[in-house]
Amino acid sequence: MNATSGLDLASIPERIQAEVQRAIQRSIKGVEYIATSGPSLGSTPKDILSVRGTMNLYHYRPMADEIYRIPILIVMATTNRGYILDMVPGQSFIEFLLKRGYDVYMLDWTAPKPEEKSLAMEDYVLDFIPDCVRQVQQDSGETDVTVIGYCFGGVLSLLYGSIFAGGPMKNLICFTTPVDFREMKLFQNFSDRRYFDVDRLIDSVGNVPPEMILSSFEMLRPASRAASQVQLWENIWNDEYVKSYRMFDRWATDTLPLAGEYFRTITKDLMWDNKLYNDTMSVGGRKADISKITVPILHAVAEHDHIVPYDAAKPLIQKIGSADKEEVMLKGGHVSLVAGANAIKRLWPKLDSWLGERST
Amino acid sequence: MADKSNDPVAIWQNMIGEMEKGFNAFANKAMESPEFSKVVNQVGGVSAGAQKQLSDMMEKYLVSMNLPSRAQMVSMAERLQSIEGQLNEIKALLHQIHGQAGAPAGGYPAPPPRPPRTRRPPSAGGEQK
Repeated sequence: MNATSGLDLASIPERIQAEVQRAIQRSIKGVEYIATSGPSLGSTPKDILSVRGTMNLYHYRPMADEIYRIPILIVMATTNRGYILDMVPGQSFIEFLLKRGYDVYMLDWTAPKPEEKSLAMEDYVLDFIPDCVRQVQQDSGETDVTVIGYCFGGVLSLLYGSIFAGGPMKNLICFTTPVDFREMKLFQNFSDRRYFDVDRLIDSVGNVPPEMILSSFEMLRPASRAASQVQLWENIWNDEYVKSYRMFDRWATDTLPLAGEYFRTITKDLMWDNKLYNDTMSVGGRKADISKITVPILHAVAEHDHIVPYDAAKPLIQKIGSADKEEVMLKGGHVSLVAGANAIKRLWPKLDSWLGERST
Repeated sequence: MADKSNDPVAIWQNMIGEMEKGFNAFANKAMESPEFSKVVNQVGGVSAGAQKQLSDMMEKYLVSMNLPSRAQMVSMAERLQSIEGQLNEIKALLHQIHGQAGAPAGGYPAPPPRPPRTRRPPSAGGEQK
């Protein structure tokens, strides 16, 4: 090694050879990338229990010989598809739960049709979720249900749990769920009530187009898309990197439109008036006060979450009425918290040990 | 092993990472200003309205050309998906009925019975399978 420069002169020919090989691989794999589609996602065997407009309820087929008594209902965020939790075998949260002996159901969403623009918050909280909970009870033969909400699915679960505080929700798990919407600073600025005319937008477009939702997410990190494409080109020789890139990129760009009336309520009640945090939220005339929730709750938050910053998620545990409550902060971002290598190593085992004890 | 500070590939990757962070931080700062919100919402409001008008016009044009619009294609794909889903449901029901009636030889295999809900967590003496 050259002591002054720190450069290992002997390794230079090897490095050059490796880089030349990578350059050749990039050209070959680059063509392959364009000519092929990504891996098949969301393929854990499941049965469709119910489809009603934008609402889809799945039941995943158990993978263990003996399962926990209490079934799980996962409530997905309304902006994105549920397959983020069921990527490919070995990297699927759903598969992990099934193998650990849980009985798993998922409330997933498809794009609301133009005629569903009038779907409002009450349709989601007072109709879709209770209907799915009832179907889970019927299908499983159990009265108690554990609810897991991801991102805005967590907000919907909190609203549901606070209105139906007497049950049947037995446990609640939230992933990166915002409560104090003032702390979502960039979204606050995008929807500044002085300049953002939500009524005009909804009245003219009906449902909020997915492109608009996607661009508002991408605006939070405007350089990241270009940088990720540079990184993809650098790593295109690496099949594992490409597979992972394709999975996450496909999911991130597969954004759903939002029903107009529902978006109007999110903007006015949550973004503008911060009603969930101020304990003034109501849905369909029924007060939704999260201090009424008393079931055991686990809230998983990400240290580097750029979509739901920690300050927006932090008050959940402070405000909830449960005595058995825990917040767990893990390294990673909004998506890597629940899917990807970090999730497999950190979140999933933590969730299993917390939930197993409360699922009998 | 080569020192990372002298590895051109590592330097390039590091530079891209730093540029990304720096640009994101700079843009986020700019996006926090009320002026940004005003401009974005003015432009966004106008473009959303214009897009809606354009898509309505295109819809009428496609109808006059007797061609399906994108919305109709998406709707058709979703209906197909829903039909597929319902077929799956019917299939699952048929399997169930078949199983209950005692499937004849050569018929569909009965669905596996649901596992018992008796699992205990490992800490409570349960066995992790």
